[in-house]
Amino acid sequence: MTSSTSLKPLAMILPGLALAILIIGYPIYDLGYASLHEVSRFGQLRDFNGFNNFRDVFEDPLFYGSLIRTLIWTFAVVGGTLALSLPIAMMLNEEFYGRGLARVIIMLPWSISLTMTAVVWRWALNGRAGLFNATLMDLGILKEPIEWLGEANQAFTVEILIGILVSIPFTTTIFLGGLSALPQDTYEAAAVDGATRWKQFRHITLPLMKPFINIAVVLNVIYVFNSLPIIWVMTEGGPANGTDILVTYLYKLAFRFGQLGKASAISLIMFGVLLIFTIIYVLLVMRGEAGAEAEE
Amino acid sequence: MFHRKVATFAASALALGLLAGSAFAATTVNFTVAEYSSKTGPFYKEVAADFEKANPDIKINIEVVPWDSLLQRLTTDIAGGTPPDISIIGTRWLLDFASQGVAEPIDSYLTPEFKGAFIDTFMKPGIIKGKTMGLPVAASARAMVINTDLYEKAGVKPPKTWEELYQASQKIAKLPDTFGFGLQGKEIETDAYFYYALWTYGGDILRADGKSGLDSPEALAAVSLYKKMIDEGLTQPSPTNYSREDVFNLFKQGKVGTIFTFPMLIPQIKAEAPNLHYAVLPFPVEKTEATYGVTDTLMLFSSSKVKKAAWKFIEFTYQDKYRKQFDLGEGFLPVTKNIAALDYFKTDKDIAGFAAGLPYAKFAPVIANWEEIADTTVRALQQIYLGQVSPADGLKAAAKKINEIRGL
Repeated sequence: MTSSTSLKPLAMILPGLALAILIIGYPIYDLGYASLHEVSRFGQLRDFNGFNNFRDVFEDPLFYGSLIRTLIWTFAVVGGTLALSLPIAMMLNEEFYGRGLARVIIMLPWSISLTMTAVVWRWALNGRAGLFNATLMDLGILKEPIEWLGEANQAFTVEILIGILVSIPFTTTIFLGGLSALPQDTYEAAAVDGATRWKQFRHITLPLMKPFINIAVVLNVIYVFNSLPIIWVMTEGGPANGTDILVTYLYKLAFRFGQLGKASAISLIMFGVLLIFTIIYVLLVMRGEAGAEAEE
Repeated sequence: MFHRKVATFAASALALGLLAGSAFAATTVNFTVAEYSSKTGPFYKEVAADFEKANPDIKINIEVVPWDSLLQRLTTDIAGGTPPDISIIGTRWLLDFASQGVAEPIDSYLTPEFKGAFIDTFMKPGIIKGKTMGLPVAASARAMVINTDLYEKAGVKPPKTWEELYQASQKIAKLPDTFGFGLQGKEIETDAYFYYALWTYGGDILRADGKSGLDSPEALAAVSLYKKMIDEGLTQPSPTNYSREDVFNLFKQGKVGTIFTFPMLIPQIKAEAPNLHYAVLPFPVEKTEATYGVTDTLMLFSSSKVKKAAWKFIEFTYQDKYRKQFDLGEGFLPVTKNIAALDYFKTDKDIAGFAAGLPYAKFAPVIANWEEIADTTVRALQQIYLGQVSPADGLKAAAKKINEIRGL
């Protein structure tokens, strides 16, 4: 009996597992294979060349610049998104007149493709002809138009802000789902005991929302880390590679310069970074949960 | 070997699917068309329909791909083992295609008569190591376009030298809400905007020994002039935020005195800014006259199994009536002698202005890794325009990097 009980669950997840291996594993295997070979301009594999592609990557100063900016980009966009989405979700969870409309407005950016959003912002931020400057000047906030994307640091900041804006709908949706599942009687009991709104948030909402925040962190990190459209459409990683993150740099290497071997190596490195992050994060979360259970 | 098997399996499944779909159909020629404008796709579909009428046993399958994603598309198609039979490509990519054995030499297909139809200047960029690797399909040359109203208002004459352009821009920039010189500093062809000056100052992209010409005194003089114009407010502010189209848009709005551009802008100006008065003129000269000649190439793939049918179609598309419709519709310069002889190219002031540069046109060098070299140049220019490095240091570093890429 024991053998059948231990085999049964395995057998039941086998189809799913096989599918996952095929869909996730095969491309990674292919990437790994390509990254150890010389790859022609058009993706045909040539000779095995060991770790030459990786050496090229690690000798490239633009790789390190892009890596650092990727970390800043991911941290800033995910952090900003979480900081804004939780209050927004809590507001939308309250009963108020026009709540349905407010929810639709918050979700609306989600329904537009990232590329389209980026194209619209690129137009809006154009120094002379853009709506953004025109509006600010009409309001008297600006005297002279600003070239928002002309200089790298400023352009990168603007791109991060847009990144936050487009990540809010998804994150808010996760949080709204979580908030609607919170037990109301806990709040009532707390209110009876004289807990302020802040204390309720700090000691009830936040701990109960933890699983939802965790999933929002992991998913957002993965999406944002790999996100190409905003930066690509607005600045193509320029000026002077000042807004390049790994994925835009990778795209340039692969499809402009035709260095597919080096690009495969960077893809694998990116996959590694994300994998390590996810493992560490999951471990931290599990340890946190185990600790909480032990306390109980 | 696992992935090889999967690839073969996928390919054979695909082939089976295709066979099942067209078991009794005729030969199919797949043709990837680069989209120059909204007219390109319909034009080629029309030609293909005429061709199919004349050759019922051949089917032409046209796929229109935007320029921006064309190289990526072809790369993935080739890597995936499903390249088209014919494609329009940028001539600057041709060497890569040829050296990887992707392009088919077409000398054996070219009859003397057909070959004689082309203008020699435009055939040359397609010849690699003595073999013709493709046919010119589109050509353009660049020129300076000025806003004659602004020049009149500022009381200056159209410039013939860079010094005159500088002085004219100073006066035009003093007019309200106007810039003297539109300078591109972002995205595709940011380097070309600099080559115009580099060449007319007497410099070149590559020296005679094949090393980068960016660390030459001519390059320094050219970029220093641009930098001076940025610093003195003669260009639009923050050129690094202006792509080619952004600069052209400023011009259409009547806000810029001078830009450097291609013939395709003229129909746009006529449509979008019909009241704008302009003139097409040669580039300012310091030492020599020069312009940038750009051609695109029609390439036959070596992997094609239907080369004969494909070639038949290629010859068909070069009939005078189609070439005339294509060149005039898209605003290109003619690549064939018969079309060049049309009165239009002499009497139309705008087109004649662009065509005038052809005798002294320079082409992008046909070298490996050209895109990466161009990108290195763009990066250096952006750093210089932004003031992150001095012109001399920026050019020197770029030249060193380019020599490394070239393996020199």
